[in-house]
Amino acid sequence: MTATELENTTKTFKFSFPTCTNEDLLFKLEVPVEIPYPGSTRELVQRILKMFHIPVYLEDDLNEKLADFVSEETKNFHHNRDAALIDQLKNNELDLEGIIKNWEKQFKNVVDFAEQKGSSDEEVFAAAYHKLVHSPALETILQVESAYAKTVMDMIQNRDEDIKKLTKRQTEEMEEKIRLLNTSTTEEEINTLAAKHFEAQSLATGRWDSQLDALKHTQRAEHRAWLMNAINEYQTEEKITPSNSPLCSYASLPPAPSAPAALLEESFTIHLGSQLKQTHNIRLVCADMLDLCARDRADGGVSLSLYSSELSGAVLVCEARPSRSPLTSLPRVTDHHFPDLHDQLRRIEEAVAEPAEARNRSRSERESRRRALRAGDVFVTRHSDLAQHVVFHLVADEDELRSAELSSRHRALLGLREVLLAAHRNDVSSVALPLLLRRELGEDATAAWCLRRAELVLKCVKGFVLEASAAGGARLTTLTAAVPKDARALFPALAALLPAVFRVAGPLRPRLPSGPV
Amino acid sequence: MEDDYKFAASTFFAKNHPGETCGSNGLPLTPSSITILGRSQRLLQIEHPNLCTYLDIIRGKHERIIVVAEVIGKALAEYTTKFSYEEIINIATQVACGMKLLHDGNIIHRTLSDDNILLDSNGRVKLFHYGMYYMTNEGKEVPFPLGLPRYFSPEAIIGGGGPSADVWAFGIIILELCIGKLWNNLKPSPTMRRILTLVHSNNPAERIAREHYALDAYKEIPENIRGIIEKCLKIYPSERATFKDLHSELSSMNTRTPSEIKPVRGLMGCKLQYLYHWWQLAGGDIQAELKKSGLIKNSPPILSMPIAILLDGPTIGGKTGALFDRRIAKYSLDLLKNRLSHIPPSDFYPLMHERRRDYEAMALPKIIRERDTEYQFYRLLWFQRLLHGYPYTAQCIRSEAEIDIPPLVRGDVWAALLGVLGDIETHYERIDKETPTHTDRQIDVDIPRCHQYCWLLCGAEGHKKLKRLLKAWLLTNPQYVYWQGLDSLTAPFLYLNFCNEARAFACLTAFVPKFLHKFFLKDNSAVIKEYLAKFWQMAAFHEPQLATHLHDINFVPELFAIPWFLTMFSHVFPLHKIVHLWDALLVEGPSLPLFMGAAILRQLRDTLLDSGFNECILLFSDLPEIDIGECVKESIDMCRSTPKSLSYRRFTNEPEIKDPMVRYAYITYLNTFICKIIIYRDMVEIPMEILLNEVCPRISLSDFFSLICQDKCCVIDIRSNLLYEKSCIEGSINIPYSGVHLGQHELKSLGPQPYKVLVEAVKMNKIIVVASAEDGTAQLVRDKVFDFIKILYKGSPSRFI
Repeated sequence: MTATELENTTKTFKFSFPTCTNEDLLFKLEVPVEIPYPGSTRELVQRILKMFHIPVYLEDDLNEKLADFVSEETKNFHHNRDAALIDQLKNNELDLEGIIKNWEKQFKNVVDFAEQKGSSDEEVFAAAYHKLVHSPALETILQVESAYAKTVMDMIQNRDEDIKKLTKRQTEEMEEKIRLLNTSTTEEEINTLAAKHFEAQSLATGRWDSQLDALKHTQRAEHRAWLMNAINEYQTEEKITPSNSPLCSYASLPPAPSAPAALLEESFTIHLGSQLKQTHNIRLVCADMLDLCARDRADGGVSLSLYSSELSGAVLVCEARPSRSPLTSLPRVTDHHFPDLHDQLRRIEEAVAEPAEARNRSRSERESRRRALRAGDVFVTRHSDLAQHVVFHLVADEDELRSAELSSRHRALLGLREVLLAAHRNDVSSVALPLLLRRELGEDATAAWCLRRAELVLKCVKGFVLEASAAGGARLTTLTAAVPKDARALFPALAALLPAVFRVAGPLRPRLPSGPV
Repeated sequence: MEDDYKFAASTFFAKNHPGETCGSNGLPLTPSSITILGRSQRLLQIEHPNLCTYLDIIRGKHERIIVVAEVIGKALAEYTTKFSYEEIINIATQVACGMKLLHDGNIIHRTLSDDNILLDSNGRVKLFHYGMYYMTNEGKEVPFPLGLPRYFSPEAIIGGGGPSADVWAFGIIILELCIGKLWNNLKPSPTMRRILTLVHSNNPAERIAREHYALDAYKEIPENIRGIIEKCLKIYPSERATFKDLHSELSSMNTRTPSEIKPVRGLMGCKLQYLYHWWQLAGGDIQAELKKSGLIKNSPPILSMPIAILLDGPTIGGKTGALFDRRIAKYSLDLLKNRLSHIPPSDFYPLMHERRRDYEAMALPKIIRERDTEYQFYRLLWFQRLLHGYPYTAQCIRSEAEIDIPPLVRGDVWAALLGVLGDIETHYERIDKETPTHTDRQIDVDIPRCHQYCWLLCGAEGHKKLKRLLKAWLLTNPQYVYWQGLDSLTAPFLYLNFCNEARAFACLTAFVPKFLHKFFLKDNSAVIKEYLAKFWQMAAFHEPQLATHLHDINFVPELFAIPWFLTMFSHVFPLHKIVHLWDALLVEGPSLPLFMGAAILRQLRDTLLDSGFNECILLFSDLPEIDIGECVKESIDMCRSTPKSLSYRRFTNEPEIKDPMVRYAYITYLNTFICKIIIYRDMVEIPMEILLNEVCPRISLSDFFSLICQDKCCVIDIRSNLLYEKSCIEGSINIPYSGVHLGQHELKSLGPQPYKVLVEAVKMNKIIVVASAEDGTAQLVRDKVFDFIKILYKGSPSRFI
């Protein structure tokens, strides 16, 4: 549609009136006028009158003439442009196929002409689940799910024990061999044994993993079938609780997961915005980011809000390979809603390869792994079996983050901005982020370094939140800033920093730390 | 019943900008929905018998736009029976009439189709949602094409199309009415191909008919209608008729005189905008109905989460754009009718000289009253009537506005309160708002930072209008300069008069001399200094303890209060609070802001008393939430209970009150009288510097007398007892200055009699006037006595002069 871009020409408006001494000698006025004229012609007349000192008695005349001129010229403008187009069409000078194709593509966005498609399986299941967890069936569902989880956790425990036993046996065997080295065994024999041990190990792990996979698979299928059945019953018979649970008895439920270890935390309510103030909650906690994601912190709330527009998310700093996400180290139970973590990560790795390559090329970076993600990129996984619905993996270079000073334009921070904006666009209303952008402090981090880093991150976050809220979308109601566990000693200093960066509303509500500081 | 539906809503998503783009000024691009919202404001003003009035444009979450507009009857597409030629002419005439108005206003319809032409049983025709193309900036702000392919003109398909494209669509519609639906069930691309092949034809209308095997039917169409159709369906737009021609031609053909519709009485006779407003207050929910009819579908956001976001690159995965659904959801007013069913018919026509009625809701806070259906019903009708009589009802409007102002007519009421009159449009038109000036740069910097949370003001349309207003004001007030803050000051007026720049300008022009006289002088230091000093004195008068504390820590108003007064708080608060603040301001007059400042301090009192200098600076750098309702109430109380002379300022535009009585009194009493302190207004001009450095305000003689007569004050005479015995004010107590020991903090040390009187006075909350023959000494005693009282009565110290 190039023709519409051909907007605006300039035409000269001519006006003449008799000079004061001679009726025949005309005073001529020429004013270039933009066509189509975006403003009011009457205002233009006033400017002309003033600028050229034109007698006021001509005002009405000028008003009329200019208005006519503009409307006439606008009409001509449209007509000439359209006539040219039609002539081109008649002479086959237009790429008709292209134009029609383009329209066709565009009309796919209108319901009347779009291909009819029903709701996807995912959507149907989501709707059913959301309805059921907001019905009296909630408790049953939670019980069933936690029973499922227990089965998996048991199996994981068995696996770990089994492998531990195997390792122990192998270690003993190996030690025995080594002791006898040079007496009754040769190096070669030891090597063979090592290889054998390795094989046995991987065999055992493989066996367990496939068992686990199979178990999860069955559970998932069962869970789905049961739920879909339950929703049908619920809708038709208005039953209060779904029956025929796949687990005959949930009497032997595992005791509720023990309350998570007391966290060092402090909450603030902040108001952001210069005139209109938005309220946000900020929570400072001393905890490992992975612990904040871990399942044992999850409760019914996660299920309740899974398909709502108040999601929770966490930011995890990680390296560029999605498959090496720190999440993989967490023991995991069946995810009844989303693909297994490894599948998700694999899909991400495949999906980003091409765009990442294009991007890297445009940045003209000459690095070895040209299809890989770079610092500041973010990939996202979804979970129903963790305490967070969404995990934003922020790719960053650990060494750089260790360095003394980051600028506010550093890629890690720009990535954080993307995370907050994405959270905003996608109804993630509570986000947990690493305040120091590091999982642990290590030796090199001094108190001064930590405070400086925390201040930088907080100030950036403040800006990002303001920016995001201007864009319109979900409101970030809760921000959790996590500091590594080994920064406990710094906690009071950081807690004092928060109200300085954000103006804190109302009285502080310090929560007494329950552990030793 | 179809006639029950009064308005309808349709919804769509605006285009999403690709993530990282910035505008030329380096700020993030305005979201499309904001642009649409700004552009569509103009549509809300259009009223015409053949156009459905737009009632509301709502911006929802995630770039959703909801358009609410009037509906009548049902769409042409929904009528299954064929229309007679007479009916067709009637429909065409009315459509042409509506279209003529749109084209005169440079609005191109582009989406004219048989499903947005509404016809009711009385034969009335209205165009529905004719502003889609206009509000979306020719479709640039939405991710889907506008209109239906079969009404596209050839040039519109290949990328052109001005107003004449609407004429083509009009022709197609009449042709359809005559020979039946065209290109029925054909997909967009084949339809468009067929339209494009028409360019080779001499008579496209006939050719269309032939293609549809309806040539006979076409020939049967009466000559005059066929003439109209053929005039519309010309290939070259320049050959097509305009709606002006079409309307006059059709009108002469139209045999049907529009049936006189009896004006409806009662609720349905009220303005549609009011009805919609009340309906919403009564609990009407536009979104709920849209959800029910499936026009708003909420897919769980977790299902459309992106899987990766590349820095300076694309977002992978995530939301796919929602489809545009052309359907509409219709609403009836049953909810409102039920809610107001008990109201007697006479109440719909309030009489101006009726005794004012008391409503139950009157006792409730303003914010709740603004949401009370029935209360707003009465108020709106009442104000409508008063505004109708403006300017003759100006007094009435003022006294009603003192109670509250219905939000829907706030713009009108403010203009009335400010005395805006006359041909403001012409006046505004005459001001050159285009020619660049040297302040443009600063204005351009400030506007994108001015109340940008407000969706109207943050769009391009809002920016443009604000700039025009500021330039116009500066040009008409050459004695003034642009001080930062003028933008904030203008914002509320623009916000309330978004489509009436002239009135916004007139309001601003009237507001500044009244409330901010001389504030925008190039050198405004004297004015501001006086204002702040007065503010400080008023604060000290009403909150002596707080004032002393702030005085002690050296926290002066220059540090925080300049933006308060320079912008009349519009820089400090969000618009929804400013409007309430200004409601009071406009009614009470120019001294109220001083007390508003004091009321804000009062709200922060406890925090401030516990704070040192640094904490105070921090606190005011980002003012905490202030309860505006409370602030307004308190400030009005303070204002009314303060003797007028206390808040007197020299730099004001108020007429000087010359009161001969006062002078007389002064002269007579001067010789025998005790005090020289209290007069500065009536006779002696006390130098500014002295005045401004005082913590406590001075009172005029007349106010002083009236206080004494009302027994509202306690006078401490600090002259020597010799003078005191010679002559004194009855009831005053004598504490000779020389007898006061400065280090002494016991009130009792003043002697038993003064002690008793003072304690009594404090209990009665009397104003304490210290009278002396010299300045300075009075100050000392005042401070001292105040100290005593502070010690004795923590929390409720009395007021001092």
